[in-house]
Amino acid sequence: MTVQLAAHRARIESEPAAATIEIDVADVSIVFNSPKGQVVAADRVSFQIRRGEFVCLLGPSGCGKSTVLNTIAGFETPYSGTVRVAGKPVTGPGPDRGMVFQQPHLFPWKSVRSNISHGPRAQGKPASAARAIADDLIAMIGLARFADAYPHTLSGGMQQRVAIARALANRPGVLLMDEPFGALDAQTRIVMQESLLALWAQVGTTIVFVTHDIDEAIFLADRVLLMSAGPGRILRDLRIDLPRPRASEIVLDPCYVALKKECLELIRAESRQAFEQQA
Amino acid sequence: MRRLNTAISILSIPLFFALWELVSRSHVVNIILFPPPSVVAVAMLEWVKSGQFAVDLAVSVTRVVIGFALGAAAGVLFGLLTGRFQLVSSLFSPIFHILRPIPPIAFVPIVILWFGLSETGKIFLVFWGVFFTVWLTTHIGVQKIDSGLIRAALMLGTPRRQMLTEIVLFGALPYIVVGLRTAVSISFYTLVAAELAGTFAGIVYRIEIAQQNLQTGQVMGGLVALGAVSFLADRGFAAVTQRLVWWR
Repeated sequence: MTVQLAAHRARIESEPAAATIEIDVADVSIVFNSPKGQVVAADRVSFQIRRGEFVCLLGPSGCGKSTVLNTIAGFETPYSGTVRVAGKPVTGPGPDRGMVFQQPHLFPWKSVRSNISHGPRAQGKPASAARAIADDLIAMIGLARFADAYPHTLSGGMQQRVAIARALANRPGVLLMDEPFGALDAQTRIVMQESLLALWAQVGTTIVFVTHDIDEAIFLADRVLLMSAGPGRILRDLRIDLPRPRASEIVLDPCYVALKKECLELIRAESRQAFEQQA
Repeated sequence: MRRLNTAISILSIPLFFALWELVSRSHVVNIILFPPPSVVAVAMLEWVKSGQFAVDLAVSVTRVVIGFALGAAAGVLFGLLTGRFQLVSSLFSPIFHILRPIPPIAFVPIVILWFGLSETGKIFLVFWGVFFTVWLTTHIGVQKIDSGLIRAALMLGTPRRQMLTEIVLFGALPYIVVGLRTAVSISFYTLVAAELAGTFAGIVYRIEIAQQNLQTGQVMGGLVALGAVSFLADRGFAAVTQRLVWWR
């Protein structure tokens, strides 16, 4: 671990981690205007995430989990309720909350290195410092050979790794991830999940990770917030007490199987209910 | 089959010149009004030898380059602003949309009243022709930028000014270069109008003078020169734009 990253980690850990609330979502409802009238995307959603925690928002497509994430990011304004990050109310997107989207959305005219150093440069860091930050992260994501390559020459998995590094370059307290591995093939996804955990072990950022994949949620998270659809609500707050570091064989662990069974049953009951409501 | 096509395409232009020479000397047409390529070539050679060609070329190219540069710069600047900020667009877009459809050539009479036969008038006409094309393509390019890129830049805390110069400008660049390339040919159209309106040097001016003296060889030589310059400008620009959008 480099000096800068150690400092970053130290900053995150300097306060008693267990007690510090990093993200506080209180009674948040989000309403969209659609041609058919108003649609409630999230209905009085409340949860708290502690500093350094890895939390997955798990739910079916269209349950409003991405909307909740976008509200934390500052791209959506809640209809009612408040979102606080590090004690401050969220009023818009900002460098204290890095984000990784479903698509990499890398700047195609910038090399891997300039994509990653864009954030620090935008924050007014001198070019040399921004470059040093970028090179650290490039080494961490294992793309040193591709530092000067342009995004379109990289595979989907490599592009998404660059997107993660870019989101971490501002040393944000919070990393928001919106189904970042959804577009990748199954093999690449597993590798990406493992390397994300390795990266997180080094930087220690609070992570909120949206997914509809039960295995992905259980494999990654400290806590899984299970969401239901129409309107989006938090159904269950599941603690994932699986030991770390985790490897992909963990899916064979009886604890893992039990957790997955619980998730499946909750989701099935929920979908049946939704199905009956529609009928 | 492919070899045959290549052979024919190589022969195409010489064949055209041969036919032209034949028709001109056949007494079917008036050779004074329809001079053969050999006469045109001689006229062009004399034009070059007299030193007048270099002056005409320099004057015409200067008008195009200055008018194009100013029009392109203003077009990109306004396109970025109207594309990005709704308020600026509400203010300027209606005006631009009223002025844009008027063919720039139609402004020649008023330009003569305003600027006389000065260089400013010529440059103004080229500027006018270039500006609207570049403005419109930039404006559209800005609006077509992937919103995910804008979100990514916002998430990284990109300040407003840097957003415009580092994200929006480059995001719209693929559209902008198309507008710039179209504007290259437009700038030559408007140059023709500008020089016909009255001046003292330039390729089109030379064509007009030759016409008045019934030097048809020189008239056609002027057309050839104008075609060559316009062609080179377009090709040169195409090569430049390939590099401008280097990430594709």
